[in-house]
Amino acid sequence: MPNEALTPAGALRPHWARIAEWLDTAGPGALTEVSADLNRLRSESGLAYAASATRPVSDDMLPMTVEAADWAKLEAGILQRARLADAAVTDIYTDQRTLAAGLAPPGLVYGSPDFAAHCARWERPPRNWLGIYEADVARTADGNWVLLSDRIDAPLGDGWLLANRIAFSNAFADLFVDLGVRRLATHYAAFQDFLDQLMGWEGRLVLLTAGETDPRFFSHAYLARYMNAALVEPADLTVREGAAYVKTLGGLRRVDVLLRGVEDAAVDALHRPGRAAIGAPALSLAARSGNLRLINAIGAAAFNHRALAPFAHRLAQFLLGEDLLLPDAPCLWLGGQRARDQVAAEPETWTVEDLTKPPRTQVAERNAGDDAARTLFPERFCATRMPPLSVTPCLANGDVVAREWVMRVFACRTEDGWRLAPGGVAAPLVAGQRAAAPSLGYGKDVWVLADAEARQVPQITTRLTAQVSGAHLRRTGRDLLSRLADELFWLGRNAERAETVMRTVSVCLERHLSGNRVDADPAILAMLAEIHVETAGEDEGIARYRHAIDRLVAGDDPMSLPSILRALGSGALRARSSISVESARYVERLCSDGRWHQTGPVRQNAALARLIQDGLQALAAFAGSTQENLTRNYAWRFLQLGRLLERGVQTAALAEQLAGQTRENEQTYLRAWLTLSDSASAYRSRYMMMPMPAAVIDLLVLDETNPRALGYQLARLEDVLGGLPNEGPYRRADHRLALSMLTDLRLVDADALAAEDDDGARKDLVRLAQRAQEDLARISDLVAVAFFAHADAPEALVSHARAQETG
Amino acid sequence: MKLDVRHRTRYDYANPAAFSQHLLRVTPCTSPGQRVILTGLTIEPEPDEIGHHRDMFGNLVHVATVTRPHTSLEIVATSNVERATPNDIILSASVPWERARASALGLDGVATNAAIAPFAFPSQMTQPDADIVTYGEKSLQAGRPVLDAARELTTRIFTDFAYDTAATGAETLPDESFRLKKGVCQDFAHVMLAALRAQRIPARYVSGYLRTIPPEGKPRLQGADASHAWVSVWDPALGWIDFDPTNDCIPGQDHVTLAYGRDYSDVSPVSGIVIGAGRQALSVGVDVLPVEDSERV
Repeated sequence: MPNEALTPAGALRPHWARIAEWLDTAGPGALTEVSADLNRLRSESGLAYAASATRPVSDDMLPMTVEAADWAKLEAGILQRARLADAAVTDIYTDQRTLAAGLAPPGLVYGSPDFAAHCARWERPPRNWLGIYEADVARTADGNWVLLSDRIDAPLGDGWLLANRIAFSNAFADLFVDLGVRRLATHYAAFQDFLDQLMGWEGRLVLLTAGETDPRFFSHAYLARYMNAALVEPADLTVREGAAYVKTLGGLRRVDVLLRGVEDAAVDALHRPGRAAIGAPALSLAARSGNLRLINAIGAAAFNHRALAPFAHRLAQFLLGEDLLLPDAPCLWLGGQRARDQVAAEPETWTVEDLTKPPRTQVAERNAGDDAARTLFPERFCATRMPPLSVTPCLANGDVVAREWVMRVFACRTEDGWRLAPGGVAAPLVAGQRAAAPSLGYGKDVWVLADAEARQVPQITTRLTAQVSGAHLRRTGRDLLSRLADELFWLGRNAERAETVMRTVSVCLERHLSGNRVDADPAILAMLAEIHVETAGEDEGIARYRHAIDRLVAGDDPMSLPSILRALGSGALRARSSISVESARYVERLCSDGRWHQTGPVRQNAALARLIQDGLQALAAFAGSTQENLTRNYAWRFLQLGRLLERGVQTAALAEQLAGQTRENEQTYLRAWLTLSDSASAYRSRYMMMPMPAAVIDLLVLDETNPRALGYQLARLEDVLGGLPNEGPYRRADHRLALSMLTDLRLVDADALAAEDDDGARKDLVRLAQRAQEDLARISDLVAVAFFAHADAPEALVSHARAQETG
Repeated sequence: MKLDVRHRTRYDYANPAAFSQHLLRVTPCTSPGQRVILTGLTIEPEPDEIGHHRDMFGNLVHVATVTRPHTSLEIVATSNVERATPNDIILSASVPWERARASALGLDGVATNAAIAPFAFPSQMTQPDADIVTYGEKSLQAGRPVLDAARELTTRIFTDFAYDTAATGAETLPDESFRLKKGVCQDFAHVMLAALRAQRIPARYVSGYLRTIPPEGKPRLQGADASHAWVSVWDPALGWIDFDPTNDCIPGQDHVTLAYGRDYSDVSPVSGIVIGAGRQALSVGVDVLPVEDSERV
């Protein structure tokens, strides 16, 4: 079998000799190190995290190399295929010359559920329907390239390519430089120039993603950052007066170019009722009026995957006037009787698959699918055969073995026509399995070697480098998406919630071990733990306390740590584009810490204490990094708002529960309040004495300089709310309410709040604390109405009333 | 005969909707056998934006957007159309159904007719199951004239299915209404299309109206006429010929054609999205009157 590393005569190719030499000198230890390095880089970039749904088949981290001459052949073939796919899609939605000429059978187009009727026969169709083209390719045993799949519906795997490249080039830095691997930056600079020219100076570029649940989300987020595009979801978009807009805090902002990372069928809820429930209604109309450029256009899905393969030869001659350079792996369209007969006669040879939708899994199940569907709708299926492939060196359990391989490549349109990124993501095929494609998030980085001449030319410093380092930022503060403002607000609230609960658990654990009879009284411990969870009253004493802690640490109540961390983690992922990489990483590490997800009885005190301490540290690091790294823009303000609001609610709740009533051993409750509020040392440094009710209330309720006091939260809240966008001449309702709360607080004194009635109740304090909790909840609602409301997803109108309507 | 049509659609919302956007396919077009003299469209509250375009099937589509808070939306479409008396067709003189298929698929050396090809394949709402295929095959013997087969299928559906407005909904697929043997015009049209397209015979879904004639001695109730749907089948020589399986007839002067498509989802008269409306209540009324009568309503 031909091996990528060997010449036909069996000698090692020069660049593989260099790699082999590196492997020999480095030894097995170095490989382990590289592997660990690579995994660290991947997980730090979020690659592994977002792709956790798709497990790698192997942990092979040896780069794949392609020589200049081989690559040149592939490049010419791919660029022609990109032009062909573009021409074919364009034709089918406009003149339909290929249909009339009998080159594309009608069943291929109209038999497909992916044909987008609402995008056909426009009065002024766009000149090009595709701007991005990706393909899966392989090298056959006889050394020729073959195409396995066109990926034109919602490609945008470029983020994956870029992140993979950064990880590999760091891990194998010496080899990478020595071999003179071609860089990717020039390619993406050319794409950026093309987009800039489409948009004009004032234009806005967005990348549309289905969100964090999509396995491609990481690639989308990474590419959006790299291309300086705003990352938006379908619900962020609205179409007015024939143009597309994103909903931001500052109102609607026009979008000029949209990189589409969401499948055709899930875009434009107006024209795809039932299929695209999630939004971006009327998006196709913005494209139809020429005000929005979609890359790729809606409708491309009809010719995705293998749809063109059976007809590519004839279509290339007809549409391009050229002979096809890059053939497809054998593929028969089952809409034709002859193809059906052939497949029936050779069932062992062929694998039947969906024509336009590539298998999502790594392993295409042989002949899987619904037999009935294939009989009723044969137009929607094809039969494929994988030819014997060449092999390449791969790592498996530390050994170098030869494996068949496939690769994804990435092309885009530029001002000078189509252009192929010099690189790719390759995946080895494990014996006995037929891989459909490299699985997202994992793969061997493909290194394209420059030819001898090109290596003399120094790498051009590109405009992109300057842009990525921030010189060309298009985003301004008011452009913050309403949806992101919402996410950031809840990110702030959840971070604060996590901290409060962790602090409670920590205080309980410390007291339990303190040996102080009063502080460690199980009844008091249970009462502290139960501030956040209500427990059934069956247990008493230490069992009751353990039960409450167990619920907090491993339960599924809304205020249990696993629930809060789940919300925090997914919120951080969704808000990733608005917070720093470092901030997101702290949260991701905290939330993906496996120790939180162990189930079982209450853990050992020591292990739990360590877990809580690590958690509090991570949260402090997150808080610190958002303070340090976020400019004081709207993103920061909403994060802050969430924090202040949640801390205000929690402080007021503690005041009510721990000081609302005088009790026996009041000292221990006041000390608990001080410790829970992280203000014990502030109290000591101020008063140097045992906690006194009025003094504690002053420090934790009224003091506007103590960052843990209710007064501080209200003062800051009033300030932050005052800084948010305001349409009218008067203060918004939420701002007024905060101002009123702050003023009331400023008009009471600590002695009055500490005063108790005959039953020992501190009625004024309780009233103030309860009102604070209610008003803060109202402020939260008012903020939601003022800023997040139009981020709501649209709903479909109800269907027609049958009795009167239908005949 | 000249007919006046008034089609009113009203949505009432539980909460004020902040935004709504609508696709309206309520304006009839001139087509063989039908001349459109006048059309009108009023929407209350007045939309902040309104535009129109033609879809790939040639229907006129209005896009209306309301961006102010509103608790109801009423769409009234009026038109004045003239319907011609249908020509007598000798159904048994039409071409064999295999030839109708060949012209849509470009088979057997016949050139593809790109204009009718979209209607030859099962669409989202006209997918057959094995039972529907078998049902259709009973009328589609080899070489049988396509219109003759369609006429028989029209009668069989009329006979085999019970008209029942409660049995199905707007999203019901043909396999279900076929199993129930119940439904309304939309379901009957979908079943017939599924049976024809299972053989890749080009046939389209027609939405429109039907004038109803009140029982002797009773006054006509306002709004009692119906939104209606039927089927149109392609004959390469005669063109599109309509069949109404709900009434077992070939549509004539009492039918008004509104729009053509592959199935209901291509031509639903009013569809759209709304934000923040909460519960929605819908009411629809249709009046179809001969011009000389319309003064009195």
